[in-house]
Amino acid sequence: MSAVSRDGAAGAHDADALSIGWSYAAKRQMFLAALAAPALVYVLAIAVGPMVQGFLYSFDSYNLIRPASRHFVGLDNYLDLWRDPTARRALINTFAFTFGAVTLEFVLGLGIALLLWRDDWFNRIALGLLLIPATVTPLVVGLVFKALLSPEYGMLGYPLAELGLTSPRGLLADPQRALAALVAIDAWEWTPLMALILLAGLKSLRTDILEAAAVDGANASQRLRLIILPLLMPAAFLALILRMMDAFRVFDIIFVTTGGGPGDATDTLMIYGVKQGLEFFNIGAASAVSTVIVACILVVAAAFIGVLKPARNRNA
Amino acid sequence: MKPFIGWVASLGVGLVVGFGLAGARAADKPYEGMTLNLASQNDQFAAVLAAIAPEFEAKTGAKVNVDILSYPELLTKITADYVGHTKGYELATVDIVWSGQFAEAGYTVDLSDWIKRDAAEIKVDDIYPSLMASLGGYKGKQVAFPFAGYANVLAYRKDLYEAAGLKPPTTMEAFVADALKLTDKSKKVYGFVANGQKGPAVAQDWMQYNRQFGGSILDKDGKPALNSSANIASVVAYKKLFDEAAPPGAADYDWGGREESFRQGLVANMQTWSIGAADYDNPKVSKIAGKAGIMLTPSAKGQPQEYGIGGWSLGINKDIDPKKQEAAWAFIKWVTSPAVHKELNMRGAGSYLRKSEMTDPELLAKYPFLPVIATSFEHGDGDFRPRIPQYPELQDLIGSAINAVLVGEADPKTAMDAAQAKAETLFK
Repeated sequence: MSAVSRDGAAGAHDADALSIGWSYAAKRQMFLAALAAPALVYVLAIAVGPMVQGFLYSFDSYNLIRPASRHFVGLDNYLDLWRDPTARRALINTFAFTFGAVTLEFVLGLGIALLLWRDDWFNRIALGLLLIPATVTPLVVGLVFKALLSPEYGMLGYPLAELGLTSPRGLLADPQRALAALVAIDAWEWTPLMALILLAGLKSLRTDILEAAAVDGANASQRLRLIILPLLMPAAFLALILRMMDAFRVFDIIFVTTGGGPGDATDTLMIYGVKQGLEFFNIGAASAVSTVIVACILVVAAAFIGVLKPARNRNA
Repeated sequence: MKPFIGWVASLGVGLVVGFGLAGARAADKPYEGMTLNLASQNDQFAAVLAAIAPEFEAKTGAKVNVDILSYPELLTKITADYVGHTKGYELATVDIVWSGQFAEAGYTVDLSDWIKRDAAEIKVDDIYPSLMASLGGYKGKQVAFPFAGYANVLAYRKDLYEAAGLKPPTTMEAFVADALKLTDKSKKVYGFVANGQKGPAVAQDWMQYNRQFGGSILDKDGKPALNSSANIASVVAYKKLFDEAAPPGAADYDWGGREESFRQGLVANMQTWSIGAADYDNPKVSKIAGKAGIMLTPSAKGQPQEYGIGGWSLGINKDIDPKKQEAAWAFIKWVTSPAVHKELNMRGAGSYLRKSEMTDPELLAKYPFLPVIATSFEHGDGDFRPRIPQYPELQDLIGSAINAVLVGEADPKTAMDAAQAKAETLFK
């Protein structure tokens, strides 16, 4: 009823506006739009515009070195991502890296968050210290681990190679283990962030529900499975989406440690795309890679939302 | 009236003197107030170049900002600058292998006419023809002026050779045999080292090695021949050296890692660019001070004695206005002049260009290996890495294939066949 009244009032205002100019509501809308306009223009110019332009480039064979030879090739740049063994390997590696890193970080992060849940001075200090890796630039993390894993002088690599636990060439030069090593490096850096987000989720849980469950006789495992984890879904959703987006476009760590090698063992879409765009100046191919990265992130994010939203709604 | 005449006369004299002085100053410093931005590769010469640039400003008035960049950053930035016509850099260091690409795209000023015009001032005859031809020279054009010539040399450990009763190798066959003999893994001493890291690092070192054995990545018609039987045999032998005579981490070495392994005393032999030679006898960074020798790179029996050369030239952005082009050319002439270039090398640039530098007593006293570089330049080959427009992609294909072989991910024939198939598409 009230909505009808408001509409009626708005209609009256509109009628007034026709006779005496802009209504207050219209002026307010215009004012708000004017306030938002600079940000909107900025986003359109800086993000949306180039993205659309990149999308259009992805249908062309376009090399900056030979701009005159630019021509339309339809979906060839996209098909090449599967036809070319190097690009195909990069695509598969990207999914493997993302799945491996995010899963490992989630499991470890959840464990750490549960350990640090109780609010005492030790946990507060431990949490502060845990966050240090996340403050280090990924490029530096890569360089540090490259040195640590060197089979000749690395504090980790040397003993591992001497004990025969890795190949004499070291982890990063072992095609079977290099990607796993990079997943571990990524987990070292980003697990604390995952733990922090999950810990924030845990701290926001209502304690009366947990106390009631304990009174009703639920043991620790039941409380975790049936109460804590379902209630933690919103925080888990945020943590997983954030890390997934980041892991999918991983570049720095791989660039400085293996450069995509050995062979193609650690090539990812981002490494492949940067090489196409900034080394060979194949703008068409690089744009196709960028578009695929954006599309993959959108699809995976949508899948997360699809899976997790019902659970979140149940908990709401 | 008289005071007025005197005042006018004084003013006249003052104006004449004033304009005269200003004119003289303009003639002294013809580029006063001008700024030249130079994008420089982060090699040994870069810091010296930045340090010496203010002297050019004092002389001509033009300030030279040296922006020191990593290799990929340099290529990306200057290409974006040239393609976008943004005139961000008036000058740039140009790698030997970019000449073909730059000549085809027309990014930089063709200096051929200016070099002819100023030949006497430049003392062109004092510059090694091999460097003039390969550092910026391409199919009759001079897209950049040679600035820093590097020679591929063989660095070896005199003490290890003496202890083993061997003489440093003069053929590639002896080089390989010595590498195997000098390897003692139990003592962590290795007879060989080269770049193994995926990408340009392994590609460039293998191309040098391959050429010394008579292999070539292009056929007589200039088309790719990566999977020729000679090239595949060379990859097989290269892998054997990595497996049996190189430090275990070499498959992941780039130039820095390779040089470090030599300076740390891990290896007995290393083919390398001459620019690193000055550090081997520096005890602050080297454990082998006084033990390293530098000699000419060997070739396989029956192959011509040619030596790999590389390095950098200076190119002028074609988009900038003529006055700035003139100032940039003045800078190039100044920085490559005998006196200034010698000074650069006295300060450790490790970048040679002129014949006179190789016989200069002061430079010789500081760098006794200069005669080796001189011979390398005299018989230099700048094309063992083909300076063609397709080079970057070709190098990447080779870099991936050889690295995959070295780490056991692919066998030599499969890897080179796959690389060849892709390379052929670049030449269509």
